[in-house]
Amino acid sequence: MAQQGHEGGIAGHLHYWTLQFDQHNPFMQIHLDTMLMTIAIATVMVLFSKWLGARLTSGAPTGTQNFIESIIDFVNQTVKDNFPTNNPLIAPLALTIFVFIFLCNTLDILPSFLIGNIAGLFGIEHFRPVPTNDLNLPAAMGISVFILVLYYEFKLKPLHFCKELLFEPFTNLVPTPLKPIIMPINLILKLVEELAKPLSLAFRLFGNMFAGEVIFLLISFLLLSGGIVGMVSGFFVGLAWSIFHLFIGLLQAFIFMILSIVYLSIAHQPVEH
Amino acid sequence: MSIDLTFIGQIVVFLTLVYLMKKHLYGPMNDMMEARSAKIAEGLAAADAGLEAKEIAKAEIEKQMAEARAEAQRILSKAEKRSAEINEEAIHKARANAEQIVASGKEELTAEVERARQALRKEVANIAITAAEQIVQAELDAKRHTALIEQIIEREYSQA
Repeated sequence: MAQQGHEGGIAGHLHYWTLQFDQHNPFMQIHLDTMLMTIAIATVMVLFSKWLGARLTSGAPTGTQNFIESIIDFVNQTVKDNFPTNNPLIAPLALTIFVFIFLCNTLDILPSFLIGNIAGLFGIEHFRPVPTNDLNLPAAMGISVFILVLYYEFKLKPLHFCKELLFEPFTNLVPTPLKPIIMPINLILKLVEELAKPLSLAFRLFGNMFAGEVIFLLISFLLLSGGIVGMVSGFFVGLAWSIFHLFIGLLQAFIFMILSIVYLSIAHQPVEH
Repeated sequence: MSIDLTFIGQIVVFLTLVYLMKKHLYGPMNDMMEARSAKIAEGLAAADAGLEAKEIAKAEIEKQMAEARAEAQRILSKAEKRSAEINEEAIHKARANAEQIVASGKEELTAEVERARQALRKEVANIAITAAEQIVQAELDAKRHTALIEQIIEREYSQA
């Protein structure tokens, strides 16, 4: 296990608790803090699901069941509004994306150095508690959705999808002799368009959360190093930013969920003849 | 900011979480919500059917009430008509009886009068005979006097 960096300021707080397997290959490392926090959140979600599952009542729901049912109802309605067909995987996928990202994002409103300092007590030099601030998690979720989109495109309308990659929109516009020349260009542009979907999903979430964390660090530095005025102003600015960031976290979770549904919905659209 | 083995780990965590959430939360809750929705829809349909049945029953009751009222009216009219007929018959019968009684009374009266007249005539004749006998005994023929007396009586009674 190796731990990175000893720089001061904000940059000093942007290192992960990293386990390196190969010093020369940057891919061969794992962010233990991200893995630990995602596994912890996932475990809490699963345990909560099992706990709630054992207490479900088919009568009028109350309390926790009522709250979770309202979330499931909201997700079901969103899927129904955007999806042309019935696919039993989409709604649970959307629910997991929404709740998981929201819970990950919500960790950001904890005091900036709290979990880092707790980890420091155990000898861990760097610890970043918010998993969505690590590009690996948004990218993993974006790629998972993208793989599902490709799976359904090839499963439901393989010929149409290949035809679209090769001919839409440019190849169809040129005369037949020019088609072989335009086709590779069309293919490259379509691949870029398709790859932009998971990339935009991942970077939108990562960018928002990363920027939010940087602003929290700025506020905390203001609070800790600006004297009485800095502390008072830092407290109120921090409080306001926490509330705003909570909303941003919810919004980003919703955007990730709705775009995943839309991309999967496009893959399920019937072919028009 | 780098992509490394964490990326693979996160894919595993995410897909496992999707599977477990579907199995333990979404699946059971969605099934239960659908069952509840179906039950509510069934209840609403039953309530609608009940309302419809109530309306049908109400219409049927009104129809039967109207029929019963019409039937009662018909029976009443028939009874009134029959009552009037019975009254009329009774009046006719009573009138006929009365006429019969009156006629019978008249006949009886006439017969009685006739009898009384005959009896009186006989009695008067006897009296006259008796008187005449007494006279004749004294001086005249009985047969001649009897005829004379009857002639006188007949004339007198005819005038009476």
